[in-house]
Amino acid sequence: MFTRYLLPLLALAGFLFGVYMVVTGNKPIPVAEAVAQPAQAPFASFIAGSGLVEARSENIAIGTPLPGVVTRVAVRAGERVKAGQILFELDDREARAEEGVRRAATARARAGVEEAAASLKEAAILLQLAENVDDRRAISVEELERRRNAHAIARSRLDSAKAQVGQAEAELTAVRTTLDRLRVRALIDGEVLKVNIHPGEFAMAGITNPPLLVLGNLTELRIRVDIDENDAWRFRKEAKAVAYLRGNRDLKAELSFAYVEPYVIPKRSLTGDSTERVDTRVLQVLYRFDPSQLAAYVGQQMDVFIEAPDMIPQTAADRPPPDTRVLP
Amino acid sequence: MAADQDLAVSCRGLLKTYGTGEAMVTALQGVDLDVRQGELMMLVGPSGCGKTTLISVMAGILDQSEGDCRVFGQDLMHLRNHAKLAFRARNIGFVFQAYNLLPTLTAAENVTVPLLINGVGRKEALKKAEQVLEQVGLGTRTRSLPSQLSGGQQQRVAIARAIIHEPRLIVCDEPTSALDHETGHKVMELLKGIAMGRDRTLVIVTHDARIFEFADRIAEMDDGRVTRVVTNSSQLH
Amino acid sequence: MYRIALKMLMGDRGKYLGIIMGLTFASLIMTQQPAIFVGLIMRSYSFITDLGLPDIWVMDPEVQWVDDIKPLQDTELYRVRGVAGVAWAMPLYKGLLKARLPNGMFQTCIVVGLDDATLVGGPPRMVEGRLADLRRADAVIIDIDGAREKLSQPPAVPGGKRVELKVGDTLELNDHRAVVVGFSKNTRTILSQPVLYTTYSRAKQFAPRERKMLSFILAKAASDESLAAVTRRIGATTGLAAYSREEFMGVTFRYFLKNTGIPINFGVSVMLGFIVGAAIAGQTFYSFTRENLRQFGVLKAMGTSNWMLLRMILLQATLVGMIGYGLGVGLTSLFGWAMRNTILAFKFPWYLLLFSGIGVTLICAFAALISIRRVIRLEPAVVFKS
Repeated sequence: MFTRYLLPLLALAGFLFGVYMVVTGNKPIPVAEAVAQPAQAPFASFIAGSGLVEARSENIAIGTPLPGVVTRVAVRAGERVKAGQILFELDDREARAEEGVRRAATARARAGVEEAAASLKEAAILLQLAENVDDRRAISVEELERRRNAHAIARSRLDSAKAQVGQAEAELTAVRTTLDRLRVRALIDGEVLKVNIHPGEFAMAGITNPPLLVLGNLTELRIRVDIDENDAWRFRKEAKAVAYLRGNRDLKAELSFAYVEPYVIPKRSLTGDSTERVDTRVLQVLYRFDPSQLAAYVGQQMDVFIEAPDMIPQTAADRPPPDTRVLP
Repeated sequence: MAADQDLAVSCRGLLKTYGTGEAMVTALQGVDLDVRQGELMMLVGPSGCGKTTLISVMAGILDQSEGDCRVFGQDLMHLRNHAKLAFRARNIGFVFQAYNLLPTLTAAENVTVPLLINGVGRKEALKKAEQVLEQVGLGTRTRSLPSQLSGGQQQRVAIARAIIHEPRLIVCDEPTSALDHETGHKVMELLKGIAMGRDRTLVIVTHDARIFEFADRIAEMDDGRVTRVVTNSSQLH
Repeated sequence: MYRIALKMLMGDRGKYLGIIMGLTFASLIMTQQPAIFVGLIMRSYSFITDLGLPDIWVMDPEVQWVDDIKPLQDTELYRVRGVAGVAWAMPLYKGLLKARLPNGMFQTCIVVGLDDATLVGGPPRMVEGRLADLRRADAVIIDIDGAREKLSQPPAVPGGKRVELKVGDTLELNDHRAVVVGFSKNTRTILSQPVLYTTYSRAKQFAPRERKMLSFILAKAASDESLAAVTRRIGATTGLAAYSREEFMGVTFRYFLKNTGIPINFGVSVMLGFIVGAAIAGQTFYSFTRENLRQFGVLKAMGTSNWMLLRMILLQATLVGMIGYGLGVGLTSLFGWAMRNTILAFKFPWYLLLFSGIGVTLICAFAALISIRRVIRLEPAVVFKS
């Protein structure tokens, strides 16, 4: 019985178990779906690039001409500003003290003018008295000359005192200019994009990174597209372009060409890491889009597709396919 | 050749050699022998005299080197292989000295083999086998394996196997030599009684003198030749 | 007659079991060893198979296999995106980083950085948490096997359970903080390192400063384009190597074939199994036939044709072959089933069933052939020789 039925049955069971193991053990591995659908180009042939949203005016990094401690920040991020509006103020105590000094100096100079004018008046009277004497023996020639000179000197002194007033006033104006320079103002109408300073912080003069304040004109958004230099030859100004928001491919905007910066620059890495070396250069092309069409923020990255002629040079297409085998 | 019609086997000048060149052995050196239908013919002689070779040729399982051997008028040697097999399956029954039953088959199953070879269905063959076993007195042992049977019983199963398909010629090789006298006697009686029918011919090779009495004729062989044919065993010695 | 053949075969129990044991052994070796081999090989490119969404992998042309990372410049991503027929292309960072566990131990992990926006290339199954959780600050997802084994900490009390990582635990990756937000179930990799998923930009922060960081570009061919045409076009226009998933698996597989001893070792085992199985089963079968030669002679004398005898022997060989094969396959499956939750690489694809089936068939054919030769040459006249 064992050999006759049990063995074949066992064998059959073994085989079926094997089949079961094959079937259950080789279920296809599930495919992890993308969390967000990747953007797909609406063109058959195109250049792809990463784009960075920026303001129409580009992003203006506000600096200060004078270093100093910030005493007041007059705007908040997102606030609209008019040209001339104060953005922030620096510590002006020293300049104000100087202003007082200069103002006193002006007063003193003015007093000097009056004094000089009085001296001149006195000298003029004395000179006149002497000149009115007809008898030449009554007053010596020497005395007359002396009075004339005194008068001339007094007139010069007045001129000098007047000039000193002018100088003092100019110095006062200079100090006032300095005072005004401690108040940093917006030079265009726009929106405050970023505020990096706070009262009490020391603001360096010159170019700072990060900038003290970022300002931009947002009436229209621009997108700065990096095109790899290898693809630059395929770029056409009149070509259609579309930008997709990362993370939701349904959010997209038609782009219209603004201008191209005809200068190929080293690609700026978006990691912001300064130690990163760069050996690729990119052509930067600017497109504009309507902010109402796509809610994008300045500084946001977008995937940009620009329609372009088919890229395969004929010679490349004729090349044999790359060897997919491992080289020994 | 009206007389030939009655002949089961007719051998003329049979010559059989084994091997070639110096190693050549001659087993049959011109045998002339007729076996009549319905006859029980015994072949006797010392071992090595060619008896077995002769029945092998008669049974169509060995081709002679020269000469002519007809079995029921058929020249087996010149038959196509296929036809020869069919002829053998239909017309010849075998009984062996060592029984040669298939050890893993029951008695009944062993008996069915010739019918199966002839293409008879299994059930039908088994039914027939049980009948035949009944005839040889083993009706109760149909399901026994050969190893569970005595020598005599095994030989009776072998006889049942030899006759089940009702062959016209049964060749027996020393059917009794492995058996004691009494059993051998019984087997011979069985053979004679059951196997011998109107058109059934038996050729028995034996050197068991105790059973000579069952023979119709005895052919004595020596050195590849039939030396004489007698009708009575008493004439032999 | 077939029934007789079967009874002849099964009647001799010792030999019957001997033949079947030989064949079972051969079939077992020829199934189980290749199954482990296939398991190992599949682990070598499990990283590729686990990543089902993209169908094109773009990399440096010198890359030899999946763990051979030769990073690209970030701009290459956009060049690949610009190739006609590419539906999308996403960056993928893959690198080995040391993770510092809360107890101060270090463990090298595979860190995978996925595209920040789409998270293309995520793990196939999530056990806990969601893939989108990677968008949280400092988030990483860890494969569950790694979390349970290599990234677990020794028990607080001797003899206790190891402390597994939990959601919310923090690790240090290269001095950066990483928070576990979920666990994934991955196919094990060949070295069984834990796999950490994070976003591409975060991976770049974790990784030591390098000039190039982009390990792979994962791309999808447009639905109306043929994969081969797109990969060819990517290769021709960017000068990078672009492989379909299958091609990349093949590249990795061939690297293993050429550069490791694994295939040879298993090949030798399989050959030994085949030879030993063939020797045992073939020899026993042949001796079985030889022992039954007399019975075959009897059947032959009684008028059985050679053709019928041949079929009988073939039937016997087929039967023992099938039984041995079934038992071998069953034992292999049992082995695989028992080992399913261990680290053992065991993979049982359908072609192994075919492979061992062919092996067993060859052994049986060989055994039947020598037996048949003997039986066909047999002179039926032997039956009269005692």
